Amino acid sequence: MTRYILRRVIAILPTLFLITIFGFLVMEAPAGDYVTSYIVREYGHGNTEAARIEDELRSFFALDRPVYERFVTWLARFAQGDFGDSFDLRRSVRDILNDRIGLTLTISLATFAISWGIGIPLGVYSATHQYSKTDNFLTTVTFVGLGLPDFLLALAFLILGWQLTGEVLTGLQSVEFLDQPWSLAKLLDLLKHMVIPVCAVVITGTAWVMRVMRGNLLDQLGRDYIVTLRAKGVPERVIIWKHAVKNSLHPLIAALGQTLAWLINGFTITSIVLELPTIQTVYLNATLQQDIYLAGTILILIGFLVLIGTLLADIILAWMDPRIRYE
Amino acid sequence: MVASGDTIPEGLIGSEFDAEETDVISVRRLMWLRFKRNRLALIGSIALIVMYLAAIFAGFIGPYGLRETHQKFPASAPLLPRFIDEEGNLGFRPFVYAMESKVDKKTFKRVLTPNTEVKHYLHFFAKGTPYTILGFIETDIHLFHVNEPARVFLLGTDKQGRDLFSRIFYGAQVSLTVGLVGVSLSLIFGALIGIAGGYFGGLFDDVSQRIIEVLISFPQIPLWLALAALIPPTWSSVQRFFAISIVLSLVNWGGLSRQVRGMVYALREEDYVIAARYASASNWRIITKHLLPNTLSHILVIATISIPAMILGETALSFLGLGIQPPMTSWGLLLNQAQHTRVLIQQPWLLTPALFVVVTIISFNFLGDGLRDAADPFSN
Repeated sequence: MTRYILRRVIAILPTLFLITIFGFLVMEAPAGDYVTSYIVREYGHGNTEAARIEDELRSFFALDRPVYERFVTWLARFAQGDFGDSFDLRRSVRDILNDRIGLTLTISLATFAISWGIGIPLGVYSATHQYSKTDNFLTTVTFVGLGLPDFLLALAFLILGWQLTGEVLTGLQSVEFLDQPWSLAKLLDLLKHMVIPVCAVVITGTAWVMRVMRGNLLDQLGRDYIVTLRAKGVPERVIIWKHAVKNSLHPLIAALGQTLAWLINGFTITSIVLELPTIQTVYLNATLQQDIYLAGTILILIGFLVLIGTLLADIILAWMDPRIRYE
Repeated sequence: MVASGDTIPEGLIGSEFDAEETDVISVRRLMWLRFKRNRLALIGSIALIVMYLAAIFAGFIGPYGLRETHQKFPASAPLLPRFIDEEGNLGFRPFVYAMESKVDKKTFKRVLTPNTEVKHYLHFFAKGTPYTILGFIETDIHLFHVNEPARVFLLGTDKQGRDLFSRIFYGAQVSLTVGLVGVSLSLIFGALIGIAGGYFGGLFDDVSQRIIEVLISFPQIPLWLALAALIPPTWSSVQRFFAISIVLSLVNWGGLSRQVRGMVYALREEDYVIAARYASASNWRIITKHLLPNTLSHILVIATISIPAMILGETALSFLGLGIQPPMTSWGLLLNQAQHTRVLIQQPWLLTPALFVVVTIISFNFLGDGLRDAADPFSN
């Protein structure tokens, strides 16, 4: 087992390196750079001064250095946990991420917990009552749920919320609480603002978990060992929960690999639509403004998280299921 | 894979066919029977056929043109045809009242007041704004039309006073094709590289697998955003359309290629492939005559399943202003106006294109599900 883990960790190192190159190149590739897009924006605001000091700005941000040189410098700092500075926000990327990771994780963990918490039991129910009325109903709902994009749902909920309460529930905090220290009232305010994003994202998530769970459990319930257990007189509840469900969790655990990155960068467009102060909104703005270190760092971190998540999922699977042996 | 001459396992023969007919059923027919059994898949395919027809005949269905503006009716709520007039009389011909548009001197808001003296009846199959179908049939017949000064806006207008109902069908032309173009591109890339990698193995396989590994390490949406930002803003809207399709397929082909590679890898050692090799068939012949037909149905299923993600991708990108650009339009671009919360609350009808997106995605999901069952008609 230890050897297996070690081998896998070594095997992902080259991929990690390729991801950093790829992430950097994607951010570097658009025509122009941050200074060009900055000047265009300043020009739009009526400021023609910026164009005059273009060269100075470029050397201030070290954008006049060749690409490979900047990449090497940046990579050396990246390896030490220093992700460089954001041009636009004039702060270190690390601080920006630190500021936002709390709220990002609050929402994503809440949605994750709810969609799995609802999806698994419903999926089990659906599979154990195959072709019953409830199962047919749930299966149809799953299909519809999978077809509902979360950002469009969020928009619909926003209108609905406004019609019901007269409030526009964008962002995660009301204005009056913005710079306040944490208190019960602020927490309640946060919870109120979380309802729309969480509901919008949970629907698609639950539908997916239900569908996977139902399919796998049905597959397991048709196996011979279930017949043996029934013949031995094991209670149905034990058969389902202790044996069949345990064996049908594999694809969900395998999907944990993607989930890790999703926690940081799922529901991107919902975040943007609802103006949530999360990492996703920073990412979009940084991409548009060619704020390369900020956007590049986020993109690369997501790539890392997928790889690490996949590795973790494989390890958990190998640990959970004695039949899986990688030699 | 079972060749078409094989007998069919007994359990698969439904009771609805008589014995003579079931003696030999071709694989293709068996697939069709499987597909037909899935009612949701049938509903999905019918819905899609209707959608695509509506997109082709967009000019006919919508009463107004793509760029036709009604300057006196910006951001107007839906003006629906009615059957009951002001006096409460019920008629069978739908009609509308002409609206007088005035700016209120106190509030500076635009107020529409109906002129209830004249009824303007809806004319069906009547002449209106000229348009072309498929780029070469020129005509001016619309499904329904109402004479000026009356207007009919089934789904309201946007802030420039353009009829949303008409524009949704023009938008469908883009939204429904971008996914198909994108999928065709990833099919060509993905299937070629997957088959070559799985069949030949070696260095080519290693390199392509590493590249795919990096590609699929990134979740789709962030990568789409980054790649869409690469498209130069100076490109025309047709160039942009193809650029967006390429972006969508660039992110998508890796997963498809992996699955194809896996299938080819498994088939490579099958007896018939080895037999073909001993019969000194060329690699090209083995790939095109043996491997491709045997994986084709699965490849098509994977492709169908990935179309919804592409449609959603285009919608998301255009919604954020990174995708399709005017004068073209798409469902995402139509929804772009609904992005600002204040606007959306004032004009909730701007969200109606979302319904079309959702119906299309669900239909494709239904279809994909049915095709998946049909692709493997021997499973139970």
